[in-house]
Amino acid sequence: MIGGLKYFLSEACLSLWRGRRSSVLSILTITIALFVLGLFLLLSANLERTVSEWSRSAEFSVYLRDEATPIERGAVERGLRADASIAGVDVVTKEAALARFRRDFPELVPATLGAPGNPFPASFEVRLGSSAVNASALETLATRLRTMPGVADVRYDRQWLDRLASLIVFIRWAGLSLAAVLVLAAGLTVTNVVRLALYARRDEVEIMELVGAPMSYIRGPFVCEGIIQGGSGAILALVLLRAGLDLARPPLAAVASGLVDGNAIQFLSAGMVALILLGGMLVGCVGGLVAARRLR
Amino acid sequence: MLAGRPVAPCYTRRRLHVVVPGMPWAAVERATVIEIEGLSKLYARDVFALDDITLHVDRGEFAFLTGASGAGKTTLLRILLRQELPTGGHVKVDGRDLVALAAADVQAYRRALGFVFQDFKLIPRKTVFENVMFALRILGVPDVQQRRRTFQVLKWVGLQHRANAYPVELSGGEQQRVAIARALVNEPVLVLADEPTGNLDPDLALDIMNLFREINGTGTTVLVATHDRELIRHVGRRAITLDHGRLVETA
Repeated sequence: MIGGLKYFLSEACLSLWRGRRSSVLSILTITIALFVLGLFLLLSANLERTVSEWSRSAEFSVYLRDEATPIERGAVERGLRADASIAGVDVVTKEAALARFRRDFPELVPATLGAPGNPFPASFEVRLGSSAVNASALETLATRLRTMPGVADVRYDRQWLDRLASLIVFIRWAGLSLAAVLVLAAGLTVTNVVRLALYARRDEVEIMELVGAPMSYIRGPFVCEGIIQGGSGAILALVLLRAGLDLARPPLAAVASGLVDGNAIQFLSAGMVALILLGGMLVGCVGGLVAARRLR
Repeated sequence: MLAGRPVAPCYTRRRLHVVVPGMPWAAVERATVIEIEGLSKLYARDVFALDDITLHVDRGEFAFLTGASGAGKTTLLRILLRQELPTGGHVKVDGRDLVALAAADVQAYRRALGFVFQDFKLIPRKTVFENVMFALRILGVPDVQQRRRTFQVLKWVGLQHRANAYPVELSGGEQQRVAIARALVNEPVLVLADEPTGNLDPDLALDIMNLFREINGTGTTVLVATHDRELIRHVGRRAITLDHGRLVETA
């Protein structure tokens, strides 16, 4: 068993070295396909995480009328706390709202000094739950709260985040479709490169058949050649992705500061890395099998 | 004598090579290695490469298959190697029915044979030693035994000193000796040779024939296809003559 594997591997390496030009072409095709796949996976995973964080900090505020009674306030607060998708409720009094404004916008303080009384309403600031945030349920809650006595307005700015999430889903599917086409092209390239190797060694294959070598023994090196090409392409794609990410971090942090923390962009998870590596080897294996299938 | 080669049972009793027309297949003696009954091979409409051939080759026998070019020698050998299937008739080699042999069993069947071709059919990128050892490797023989046995066979054909050479570095006669060593290394029940001396000068041809005689002397059945009548006369063994696909003489 081990002897057989050693034989497949040494024969495959020899064949790859002999046809190194076409082998390099094949490996590069797989690299491009898996690089695109990895890039889209990287982008969608990071965007998803970012949007999820933004969703958690999305503003959901219930502004109260100045004339709202304590009973009305209590009813609104109870309604909020009873909702499962709400993680917590902070009460912001009129005085606290004014103080926060003066702290956050000191340059506008003089403009408020001339105003009669305190123009800022009291409010409930709602923290949304992390996972089970159902956009339509929150929309229903917002509508219900708007009709409650004592409520002046409800601000809920999650809609654009939901649109962004839809865009990410679209990007992911577009990326997967493009990668699928490229992976198919890579598979065909491997098939043809292995077929070329097979053609170059057709006399040898004929001799092996005449000597009575088992078909697995004859096909093995060709399949192994495909797997090596696929695996090499995958490793190269992952290395390029990692290097590209490290190079892109500083400029990305400079361009998107405030929106995205450049250092928070994460590389693919271990599962994704394994998926790309095994995927590359699988594409190569299938390519090698398809090429070697012609041997009777 | 092939060093270390276990002597196969050698059948000294020869059966009469007379085939009674209509003789039932099952009645053929099992001392026969090649059993061919009513064999035909049709390549195109009414173009018979082989036409109703019936012949037997006994265990331990050395026979020639002869005839002019196009007589059907190579077609018959290809059928015996199970590279082709006949259009009609029966072929058995060492008890195996080649017509009924499943595709999955063809390689196992070939591993029990030895073959030698006019163009040597050596793997150019393997050394002499590797070319011979390859036939043992596919049998799953342990490494140490592979090496020992390969060395023995190379020594027997007188090429142990060229073990690390590549086929391209050898003369035609040496290449054919390597091919013979490869054919023998797995101790086959039958060695088939298709014009093994076709690319060699007369002296080398005789050397190669002497090797085949020695192989046969150990009990291995040998069938050599050649059109060289002089060589057949020199070796003096049974010649099966084909002409336009028909068996015309076996003497």
